[in-house]
Amino acid sequence: MIRFLLISVLSAAGLASAEVPKAAPNPVTAGALVPAPPRAPVLRTDSLVRVNATVQAYDVFQPWQKQSPAGRRGLGVVMPGRRILVTAQMAADATYLELELPESEMKLPARVAGIDYETNLAVLEGASSPERVDAFFAGLKSIEVETSVSVGDMLNTWQTSRVGDLIVTPLRVSKILTSIYTVEGSNYLVYEGQGILRSEGNSFTLPIVKGGKLAGLLLRYDSKNQVTTVLPGLIISQFLKDMEDGKVNGFPSLGAQLQPTMDEQFREYLGLKPNQGGMFVSAVLKGNTAEKIGLKKGDIILSMNGFAIDSRGDYNDPDYGRLNMSHIVRGRARIGDALEVVILRDGKETTLKGKLSRKEPGENLVWPYIFDRGPNYLVNGGLIFQELTKPYLNAFGENRSASAMRLSYLSDHPEELEDEGRKKLVFLSMVLPTPAAQGYGDLGGIIVNRINGKAINQLSDAEEAFKSPKDGIHVIEFADFPRLIHLDAEQADKDNEMLKGGRFRIGTLSRIEY
Amino acid sequence: MTSLLRLSLLLGFVAGLPALAAPEPGAQSKPGKINGTADAIDLASGEWDNVVNIEVSVLYPNYQEPWNAGQPSGGSGTGFLIGKNQFMTNAHVVSNATRIMIRTTNDPAPHPARIVHIAHDCDLAIIEAVNGDSFAHLKPLEIGEVPKLNTEVNVLGYPIGGDRISVTRGVVSRIDFRTYAHTNVDSHLTIQVDAAINPGNSGGPVLQDGRVVGVAFQGYSGRVAQNVGYMIPVPVMRRFLQDVEDGQYDHYVDLSLDDFSIENPAQVKALGLAEDGVGVLVGDVAEVGSAGGVLKAGDVLVSLGGNPVFNNGLVRVDGDLVDMNEVVERKFAGDKVAVEYLRDGKREKGEIVLKRFEPYVKLGSQYDKRPHYVMYAGMVFQPLDRDLMDNLRLNDKTINHLFDNYLSQKMYVERPEPVVLTNVLPDEVNTYLQGLYPALVDEINGVKIRTLADVKTALAKEGAKKDFVEVRFVDNGRPLVLKRVLADAAHPRIMKNYNIREDAHLGDAKP
Repeated sequence: MIRFLLISVLSAAGLASAEVPKAAPNPVTAGALVPAPPRAPVLRTDSLVRVNATVQAYDVFQPWQKQSPAGRRGLGVVMPGRRILVTAQMAADATYLELELPESEMKLPARVAGIDYETNLAVLEGASSPERVDAFFAGLKSIEVETSVSVGDMLNTWQTSRVGDLIVTPLRVSKILTSIYTVEGSNYLVYEGQGILRSEGNSFTLPIVKGGKLAGLLLRYDSKNQVTTVLPGLIISQFLKDMEDGKVNGFPSLGAQLQPTMDEQFREYLGLKPNQGGMFVSAVLKGNTAEKIGLKKGDIILSMNGFAIDSRGDYNDPDYGRLNMSHIVRGRARIGDALEVVILRDGKETTLKGKLSRKEPGENLVWPYIFDRGPNYLVNGGLIFQELTKPYLNAFGENRSASAMRLSYLSDHPEELEDEGRKKLVFLSMVLPTPAAQGYGDLGGIIVNRINGKAINQLSDAEEAFKSPKDGIHVIEFADFPRLIHLDAEQADKDNEMLKGGRFRIGTLSRIEY
Repeated sequence: MTSLLRLSLLLGFVAGLPALAAPEPGAQSKPGKINGTADAIDLASGEWDNVVNIEVSVLYPNYQEPWNAGQPSGGSGTGFLIGKNQFMTNAHVVSNATRIMIRTTNDPAPHPARIVHIAHDCDLAIIEAVNGDSFAHLKPLEIGEVPKLNTEVNVLGYPIGGDRISVTRGVVSRIDFRTYAHTNVDSHLTIQVDAAINPGNSGGPVLQDGRVVGVAFQGYSGRVAQNVGYMIPVPVMRRFLQDVEDGQYDHYVDLSLDDFSIENPAQVKALGLAEDGVGVLVGDVAEVGSAGGVLKAGDVLVSLGGNPVFNNGLVRVDGDLVDMNEVVERKFAGDKVAVEYLRDGKREKGEIVLKRFEPYVKLGSQYDKRPHYVMYAGMVFQPLDRDLMDNLRLNDKTINHLFDNYLSQKMYVERPEPVVLTNVLPDEVNTYLQGLYPALVDEINGVKIRTLADVKTALAKEGAKKDFVEVRFVDNGRPLVLKRVLADAAHPRIMKNYNIREDAHLGDAKP
């Protein structure tokens, strides 16, 4: 299936709006021959604002600097408490945010009040004097969130025209399922519907409405198949509840790999009864709910929080029908909620009990995503060390070098490295041409094992280890070829001064934040 | 180097070649001196019958259905007489051959021939006519030396564009170490010439002053480069001839180590080196290779075969600085090379006994080999090598990672012959197994799979659950299981339905 992120829709919209309106035929004859069409009533809403963002991510290869800024335009939905709901895509990596009233074009600088990259949701608030904020929100009304949607329901997509009129496009819900959001591993509830969506200048965060209430936000639109994917009201309301204490904790996760058990011979091998459902646990990841409640590889999950799991991994959701079991954890529930899992282990049914938790992005060996901050890095004598991130690997695209492919494989298989005691995967990402790094210019993409005899389990270890060179020389050991390099400590210090200012203008030699 | 073309005139290849441009009128001021004869060539003299056309029928192995014979095809190349009924040609001309015929310019009768020696790693072969009488009167070509840059050479052969012998001329443009496209992993000394070398020239002699100075063997597609042809030079030819003197070819030997240049002053100081630029860092050593057990990563190699090794891995031989691997190029399996190295600052001496590095062979193309496989109840198991990767276009992260890191991560230690479940032939018994392949096999019935032969023995063995056959993969927590009684019953049915005559081929019995 081909999915288009809205970034591509936006650029298409940019092209469309740049088109010169078709030249009208001779006005005299046209006026004489074509009667003016009756004007449809103009639709308006007082629950929508325009959101303009300037986004700027950090450069993954030279992490001390930022990429060129890019503009993003979208819509925001007015929530209680003078807050604006948008998708996280709209606000992530934003260096400047502003709200704009569709009709009057009055503007208000804004800031992020809360953001969850995994469910792709964010809430904005005004960043100005109370008077200006009051004035901006004076004519706006918050909208309620609707969580009840069934297959067959007609929803409406809202867009605004250039002059602020509301453009309403109907959308019939054809499927309710769980699907990937925007960052890796983010599987949550979505609605899918058929319908053609216009390209307008502001295509991020289009509200989807049912009976005047917010049923969801547009997650993506596949223009080829005309499939609209909606981020549903339930996920929005769970996110808003999470934000009530002023802090975003995120959604819980299980942290296990599950396999279906439709194969009769496999079922017999596992000791499952013919009509018994169940999902086979093929892996349990470190530091997540599954591990904490004692789930083990080889277990078969029969039910979760009272819902029987079938051999495909689905259960009967009281609100949305047949759904993948992931929704029990990361949709229906919140962090701290009870989790009860009935499993088949060694032919016996056992119940595992515990609380739902989550693994923070920073708790992974490889950062799964990095927004609103730069990757951790350390520069010494021209050698640039980083902690591996998925965005770094993704930056290579399809044509990955052998070393990038190896790092990519390791990022998918962190177990052994975690067992070695590594908390982060520290690697030499590249080498700047300095006197201290003479002869090392071609090195890159190699994993660091030790510096000056000290094991490097995260980048802060490297910073510490570089404080104690042996006889004025730093000894750096790698996991792969060339295994061993040396760096003159005094020369490296000199080079660092040159790198901070000079032509490279690195400014700060390290960013190590956890 | 995918654009490198081997120049045997394979029939499938001819079809893809662009139409030849109309020949331009010859404007040569002076005819070249060839074979020590007069300038002009008189074909009727029969003097050219020692440069022969080799017509080959081949069978390309079928990796998709390894039990099938493969795809018959044909090709044509050139060979030349080097001794009594001994014709030298390229290995790629006669690889995978089912029938070889020799033809000469003056004798239209085909003469059946057979391979005497074949060396895929340097793309050379020797063939002989089954009945050598027709060639008994011919004078073999003499082998010369390495020609100098910018000196003139002639290329003789039977390239596309006609049936009779062709002569082209050019100069020696470059002498360098290059990858030989036949295996795509072996590199040897290569000479580049600007004489036209076209498909069908392969295996033909390149002459200077009447003596052979090389064997034409590869070039570039005209879409990539112009007037770039390559020949295998005399040192490589002589090494091959010397190797087969004992009646068999023993392959090239390899130090099997990676060296890292020591340019950094801190490294020079820390490793305790003198300022004379001698010593290269040993970055990695293959334990099962020649240098394994003698050198290890972190050592500094300072001398090889009595010659100092410079910090960039070069050694001075006969006045020229050459890569230290070139020193080993001329040597043979079992030869000894003295090394001196620094370990933890102390100077040590050792001796490396040279041998072929077997894991390396899997990374290159192999020939004259029927694909190995084991099929059981529809599951097709095949050993992972370059040919399997190329033919099946396997696109699985774990398999790719193993193949890419087979040497660097020393994967060959645990899995000398990695086994992949490449296919499951659909049948009632295995209908739920679709989607579980391609996958790298780790264990079958509790037996660790190190080679394809292990698959055969492990399948016959009872595992922890004796009613089931259990296949575990390297990177998939879900085992593949089949009820043995069902699988055993399905096996003959699948063989019949899919027309599989043998359920395994583990290699031909060694004589």
